[in-house]
Amino acid sequence: MKKLLLLLGLAIFTSGALWAQRSITGTVTDQEGEALIGASILLKGTSTGTVTDVDGKYQITVPDGPGNVLQFSYTGFGTQEIEVGISNVIDVALEEGTVLEEVVVTALGIEKESRSLGYSVDQLNSEELVKARESNIVNSLQGKVTGVVVNNTSGNLGASAKILIRGATSLSGRNNPLWVIDGQPVNDDQFNGGQANRISGTRDFANGASVINPDDIETISVLKGAAATALYGSRAAAGAIIVTTKRGKTKGDNNLQVSVNSSYRMDDLFVTPDYQQEYAMGSLAKYDSSSVGYDWGPRIVGQTVSHLPVTGESGPLRAVKDNGVKDFFETGNTWLNNFAISDGNEKYDYRISFGALNQTGIVPASELDRYNVSLNAGLRHSPMLRSRFGVQFIKTDSRGTAAAGANDPNIVGLSSFSSTLDQRNFIPWIDEAGNQINNPDPQINNPYWIRHENLNNRDDSRILANAALTFAPFENFELTGKFGYDYDQDNRFFSNRKGTITRLEGNFETTNINNIQLNTDIIARYSFDITDDLALSALGGFNYNKRQRTIEGLFGNQLLVPQLFSPGNVKQSVPDRDFREQVLFGLYTSIDLSYRDWLTMTITGRNDWSSTLPLNNNSYFYPSVSTAFIFSDALGLASDFFSYGKLRASFAQVGNDTDPYQLDFLFFPVTVATGQYSLNVNFPFNGASAYGKTNTIPPADLLPEQQTSFEIGTELDFFDYRLGLDIAYFNTQNKDQILALPIPESTGFGFLRTNVGQVNTSGLEITLDATPIKFKGFSWNTIVNFSSARTEVVELAEGVDRVLIASAFNSVQVVAEKGKGFELLGVPWQRDSVTGRPLINPEDGTRIAGEPKTFGSVLPDFTMGFVNSFRIGDFNLSFTIDWREGGVMKPSTVEDLQVGGLAKETLLNREGTFIDREGVIANADGTVRDNDVPVASAEHFWTALDDNSIAEPFIFDASFVKLREISLNYSFPQSLLGNSFIKNLIIGVEARNVALLYSVIPHIDPEASLFGSGADGWGIERSNVPSTRSIGVNLRATF
Amino acid sequence: MKYIKLSILFLVGLLVLPSCDKALDINTDPLAASSADPNVILPFVIVQYSSRFESELGTRIMDVPQHFSACFNSPRTGPTTSFLTGNTWGMYYTQVLGNLVLVEQDALAAGESRNNVAAIAKILKAKAFFELSCIWDKIPFSEALDGATYSSPNFDDQEAVFRGCLSILDEAISLIDKVPAEGVFDVSGGDVLFGGDMDKWRRWANSLKLRILMLIRNKDTSVDSQIQAVLGQPLIESNDQAVLLPYAGGGGAQNAFYGIVSAFFGPSNETAQVHGPGEPLYDLLKDGDPRFDLYILDPDGLGAPDNGFFPDDNTAVLRDNIIRDDLPHIMFLPSEISFYRAELALLGVTNEDAQEWFDRGLTQILEFWGQDIPGAQITLADATISDYVSSLPAVTMQMVHEQQYLESFIRPIVAWNTVRRTKVPALSPPSNASITTILKRFNYPPDEVSSNPNTPANVNTDVPQWFEN
Repeated sequence: MKKLLLLLGLAIFTSGALWAQRSITGTVTDQEGEALIGASILLKGTSTGTVTDVDGKYQITVPDGPGNVLQFSYTGFGTQEIEVGISNVIDVALEEGTVLEEVVVTALGIEKESRSLGYSVDQLNSEELVKARESNIVNSLQGKVTGVVVNNTSGNLGASAKILIRGATSLSGRNNPLWVIDGQPVNDDQFNGGQANRISGTRDFANGASVINPDDIETISVLKGAAATALYGSRAAAGAIIVTTKRGKTKGDNNLQVSVNSSYRMDDLFVTPDYQQEYAMGSLAKYDSSSVGYDWGPRIVGQTVSHLPVTGESGPLRAVKDNGVKDFFETGNTWLNNFAISDGNEKYDYRISFGALNQTGIVPASELDRYNVSLNAGLRHSPMLRSRFGVQFIKTDSRGTAAAGANDPNIVGLSSFSSTLDQRNFIPWIDEAGNQINNPDPQINNPYWIRHENLNNRDDSRILANAALTFAPFENFELTGKFGYDYDQDNRFFSNRKGTITRLEGNFETTNINNIQLNTDIIARYSFDITDDLALSALGGFNYNKRQRTIEGLFGNQLLVPQLFSPGNVKQSVPDRDFREQVLFGLYTSIDLSYRDWLTMTITGRNDWSSTLPLNNNSYFYPSVSTAFIFSDALGLASDFFSYGKLRASFAQVGNDTDPYQLDFLFFPVTVATGQYSLNVNFPFNGASAYGKTNTIPPADLLPEQQTSFEIGTELDFFDYRLGLDIAYFNTQNKDQILALPIPESTGFGFLRTNVGQVNTSGLEITLDATPIKFKGFSWNTIVNFSSARTEVVELAEGVDRVLIASAFNSVQVVAEKGKGFELLGVPWQRDSVTGRPLINPEDGTRIAGEPKTFGSVLPDFTMGFVNSFRIGDFNLSFTIDWREGGVMKPSTVEDLQVGGLAKETLLNREGTFIDREGVIANADGTVRDNDVPVASAEHFWTALDDNSIAEPFIFDASFVKLREISLNYSFPQSLLGNSFIKNLIIGVEARNVALLYSVIPHIDPEASLFGSGADGWGIERSNVPSTRSIGVNLRATF
Repeated sequence: MKYIKLSILFLVGLLVLPSCDKALDINTDPLAASSADPNVILPFVIVQYSSRFESELGTRIMDVPQHFSACFNSPRTGPTTSFLTGNTWGMYYTQVLGNLVLVEQDALAAGESRNNVAAIAKILKAKAFFELSCIWDKIPFSEALDGATYSSPNFDDQEAVFRGCLSILDEAISLIDKVPAEGVFDVSGGDVLFGGDMDKWRRWANSLKLRILMLIRNKDTSVDSQIQAVLGQPLIESNDQAVLLPYAGGGGAQNAFYGIVSAFFGPSNETAQVHGPGEPLYDLLKDGDPRFDLYILDPDGLGAPDNGFFPDDNTAVLRDNIIRDDLPHIMFLPSEISFYRAELALLGVTNEDAQEWFDRGLTQILEFWGQDIPGAQITLADATISDYVSSLPAVTMQMVHEQQYLESFIRPIVAWNTVRRTKVPALSPPSNASITTILKRFNYPPDEVSSNPNTPANVNTDVPQWFEN
C-alpha cells in the first residue's frame, strides 16, 4: 500500500507542466432575450465556474485544447451544455420550464442526474444544514429525509444519535448506515465496551460521524435501498450517507471568499416532570429527611421538623418549586463559530475552514469543546490530470458527561429530586480535608460532589484524510485512484473520588481506543454514445479496506492518596488490551445504458472477499439492476398541468460478513474473576494466571449474510414543478444472518455462532413538495414526507422464537420475536382470561405478576416530517415538525417518579382507602369477582406496581409530535450592503427541540433512549440526562 | 508520452498491492490462544467459581438458612430474580463445567500421565453438578455439556444427579489410584487448592461422597452400605486437610463478604453494620459457645436483628473477625465429617461412638475458627475449647443437628442443605414473605427457560426438593 501511495505521489509530480489558457466571454439570456442575472457557468468535470453579472454577462478561463464543455444553468431553466469551439464568445439562451436537472451524489461519490436513477436518493444541501446547526450532524436529518428515523438519546453534551434507514433488518446489530465523507468510508461506531447490555452506568459518547462540521458540508446524500448502495458492498447493507464537503469556487473576480457563521444558543430542560408538591419526603406518611426521591411522607402544611434535609436544622417543611430541578440543572450555553476562506480558478481550488463548538451543559460541570480544521483542495494539472486532497482534524474534549442506566453513582436522573429537598443546600459539597459534606444521608451522595469531584472525561482526536488522482488520457475515459485514512484516538478517563458513597475507596478507569480505517479505490470510467439515441457509461473498480481497533485500558481500584490516578496508587489494578483487524477486497462494476435521455438502466455487480469469513468461503458476489423511465418525455405527456413523470424500479442483492476472530475455538487469558456487584477478583490469583474458554461455539461453516431487496417508485411533478410527488415502496429480505444464537447454558456454552433466520422489511415512502404560494416578494414552500417501515421476523433458528437484541435493568429487553418484529419484552400483570382485567392478590389488594411477554414493536409504525419555508421579502421563516407514530417505550424515569411518589398522579387517594377497582379476584370455582380488597395505602399501591419486575404499568405508546426546529432569517439586501466589502449578510434567530406538541408519556421526552447509537436498543429509557430545548441567534456573512 | 508513463505507473500500482489471499489471512486473534494448559484453566475455574459463589450466593442467600439476618437482593421472601438465578447457573455450567469438561477430555486423551488432571476435573465437576442440584433440584446432567448431541439437554431427577455425582467421584478416585509414580504431569501451579497433592484430592472426593450420601440417605436408607464403605476410606480428618481457597486480602484479592461492605458502606462491618447475625444463629451461640465472641459483636446484649432486617445501632452485628478481606472461601471442614459420624452412630448406621465423634467435631470446628483459620483476629485457648466441649451434656440427635447448623456457618449451600435436611433449627420465613416456608429452591433462569424447551415448568420456591422428607 505504501508503494502505491508513493507511485500516486510520483504521478502528481511528473505531471506538473503548465499549459496555455484562454478566456471565454458571453451573455446568458432567456428565450425572450432578457438577461439572466446570476446564472451559473461551470467548466464540466471541474469546479471551475462563474456567474453572470447584472447584464447577464460572464467571463471564464478555460484550458487550451479540445474537450472543454461549459454547463449553463439557472433556477427554473433547463441546463445547457456547449462544447467550447474556436470562438471565444459563447452566448446562450436558456429554455424555461424544462426539467430541473438536479444532480445528486450517488455511490462512490459519482454525481448523476436525479432523473437517471432507478432508486430513491434524498439529498440535503448546505443551506438546509446550517439554518439551525446541530452539534451532532445526524440530528440535522431528523424530519427532513424520508425513510430515516433519527433518535437522539439524551441531553448529555456530545450525546450520540442513532439513525435507522428503512427500518431494522439485521438481528446482529448491523443496522447503522455506512458514512462516507468525500468518497472515504469513515467510522461511525459508538464504542461502549462492545456491550448491547446497558445495565450498568453507561456514558453515551458521540457516534463517530458526529464530528463532521455542518459548515463544511456541501451536500448529504442518503442512499436508502440496496440498489443505491450496491457499489459500497456489504458495509452499506443498512444504507449509506454520503457527505460531500465544500470546495473553493471560482467566482470570476479573483478575490478569495471569506465566510463567517456564528451562533449562540441557550439550552434548557425540554420537559420538566410534573412533580407533586403537597407531600414531603418520607414513607408511610412519616417525614424522613434522608428519603431522597421517595416522597411518601406527610402532607406539607408548614409543620416544623427537627431535621430538615441536608442541613439537619430544625425549621418549617416547605416544598421547593419544581422539586428544585431548575436549581440543579443549569442553563447550557452553546457557541458555534465557523470561519472559512476559499478561492479557486480554472487551475486550482481550495477551502480552509475553522470551526469551533464550545458548550456548557445543563448538567453542572459539564462542558464540551470541539474544534474542526479542514482543508479541501484540488488542482487541475492539465485537461488530462487532476488531483484533490482533503484533510480534517477534529479535536473534541468533553468533561462531566453524566452516566445513565443503573449501578453507577454518576447517574443524573429526574427521579432524585424530592419535594422538600432544596438543591441549593448541597453547596458546598466538600470540606477542606477533602471529605464529602452536605449529603442528605450517609448512604446518599451529594449530587454536586458527584458532578464536581468525579471525572468523566473524553478527549478525542480525529483525522480524516483523503487524496485522489484522476487521469483522463483520452476523451470519455477516466482513471481515478482514491486513498482515504480515518484515524481516531479516543481517550476516556473516569474516576470516583475517594469518599464517593458506593465507591468509598475511590477508583479510576482509563480507556484509550484507537480506530484506524484505510480505504483505497481504483476506478476506471468510460462513456460513449453507441448511437445518437443510445449512450453507455461503464465503470469498473477495485476496493481495499482495512479496519483496526486497539483498546488499552487500566482500572485502578481503592486509591491510597485521593485524586492521584497512578497505577501504583491503587490496591487493585486491572489492565485491559484488545485488538481487532479486518480486511476487505472488492471488485465492482456498474454499467449505465440510457436511451434518448428518458430510459436508463443501471446494472452493477460487486464481489467482496472478507478476512472475517472462512478462507475457503470468503468470497461473495452481489448484483443489482435498476431502471428509470421518464414516461412524460417518452410519451410526450408534459403539459402545463403535468410537468414530469418518472417510474423507477430496482432489485439488488447484498452480502455481509461478520466480525473478526469469530471462527476459531479460543481460550482467552483472563484478568478478573467476575462477581456480583462488580466485586471482582484479580488474576494472577495467589500467583496463578488464568485462561477460560470462549462462551460462543464457533460456526462450523459460515456463509455470508444475504439481503435481497426490491424497490419501485414514481416521481411526478405538476403545475410547472410547483407540486412534486415522490412515492417509493420497498421490500427487503435479509437471510442467513450471522448471529450468536443463545443456546441452553447447560450445554456448557451460552451461544452458537451460525447463519440463521430471515427478517423481512417493507415500507412506503411519500414525499410531497409544493410551492402553494409564490409571487413577488413572497413564497411558501412546504415539504411533507411520510415513511413507514415494517419489520417482520419471519424465521429464527429451529425451536427459537425470540432472540435478544438489547437488554436493560429490571428484565425489560428488546427482542426479535418470530412472527413479529423488534419487540419490547417485559413482565405484565396476570389477567383474567375472560374479562382481561388484572388479577388481584386477595391478601393485600395488589396486582400479580404474570409471565414475560412482548408489548409491541419498539420501532415506529410511521414517521412524518413537515418542513415549511416562507420567504417574505428578505425574511425567511422556516420550521420543521416531526411526527412519530407508534412503537412502545418503557421509561424507567416515569417508573421511578411514580413509585417514589414524586409525580403528580400519585396524589390520587393519598389519604383515603385505596381499592384497585380495575382488578378482579379469582374465586375458587374459576370465576372472578370485582376487587374489594383495599391496598394498605396509596404508597403501597404505587410501590407494588413494579414488584417482581412488572413493567406493564410503565409501558407507553411512544408516539409524539414535536416542533423540531424553527428559524427566522433576514438577508440584508444588496441595496443596503451597497458596495461594502460584505457580499452577503444574514442574521437570524433559531431554535431546536422547540416544543413537544403531543405525547402520552408523562414527565419526560419520549425520544430518550438508554441505548446510544452503538446498540440496537430502542424503547427503553433509564435515568437519562433530560434532553434540552435550544434558542439562539445566528449571523452569517460572506466577504 | 508522459501519460503513457502515468498509465503504466497506475498499472504497476495495482500489481504492487499485496496478494489478496495473504492479506485476507489475518483472522487469528492475536490476544487469544487455540489451546490452554490445565495449569491456567484450573485457576480460572476455581477462582471464578469462588468469586461468583461468595459474592452471588454468599452475600445474597446467607439469610435463607438465617445465619445472617438479611442480605441484599435476597430471595428470602420467595422470588428468585433472573440475575441471581442467571448468574449462578451461567457460572456453574459455562464457566466451571464448560471448562472442566475440556480439561477432562484433554487429560483422558493424554493417557495415564494426566490421570491427576482428569481426576481433579472430575471431582470439581461432581461438586458443581451436586451444588446445582441442591439449588434447583432437577438439572441437566446426563445430557449436559454435550451440545453436539443434546442441543436441548433434558433435566435429570435429583436422585439421578446425586447418584451420578457419586459415580463421577468414584471414577476420579480410581484415576488417582492409577496416577503413575513417575512422569506425571505437574499440576501444582494450577491446583490453587492443594498444589497437586492428590492425597488431599482423594480425601476431598471421599468427603464429598459422604456429603452427597447423607442427602440421599434422607430419602433412601439403602445407601447405608455405601456410607459405611466410604467411612472406611481416607476422609478430611483434620483442619490441616480442610479445603480452603485462601484470599490474600487487599485489592483484587478480597473475599466478597467483606468486599460488599468496603465497596459500598465503609471499611468495617462492625461500624458499617451490613452483615448481622440471624436470630437462630445468635440464639444457639449465646449461651456460652466460644464462637459467639468470634462471630458476633454485641457488648450490650441487644440481640440479633429481626429476620429480614439489617443490623443497626440497636442490634448485634457480625464481627470484623469474620467479615474480613482475607477470609478464606471454606469448601470443606473435617468437623462436617465428624458430625456426620456422630449422627450415623446415633442412628445405628455405624457402631462408632457418637459422643466421641461429636466431641471431636466440636473441637475441630472451635479450633478451626479459634486457631487454625488463616488470618484469625480473635483466637481461642485450648482450655477454652476443651472446657466448653466437656461442659455439654451427653450428645443427642438434636445437639448434633444444631452443631451441624453452626458448623455450616457462612457456607450458603451447606447451611441451606443442613436446614432442609435436618429441619434443625426450625426456621420460618420473614413476615413479608410470599412463601409459606423458607426458600426451598430457585426458579430456573429465564435464559435457560427460553432457549431450552426441555426446562421443567417452574414451581413455587417453597416446594421441597427430592432429598427433603
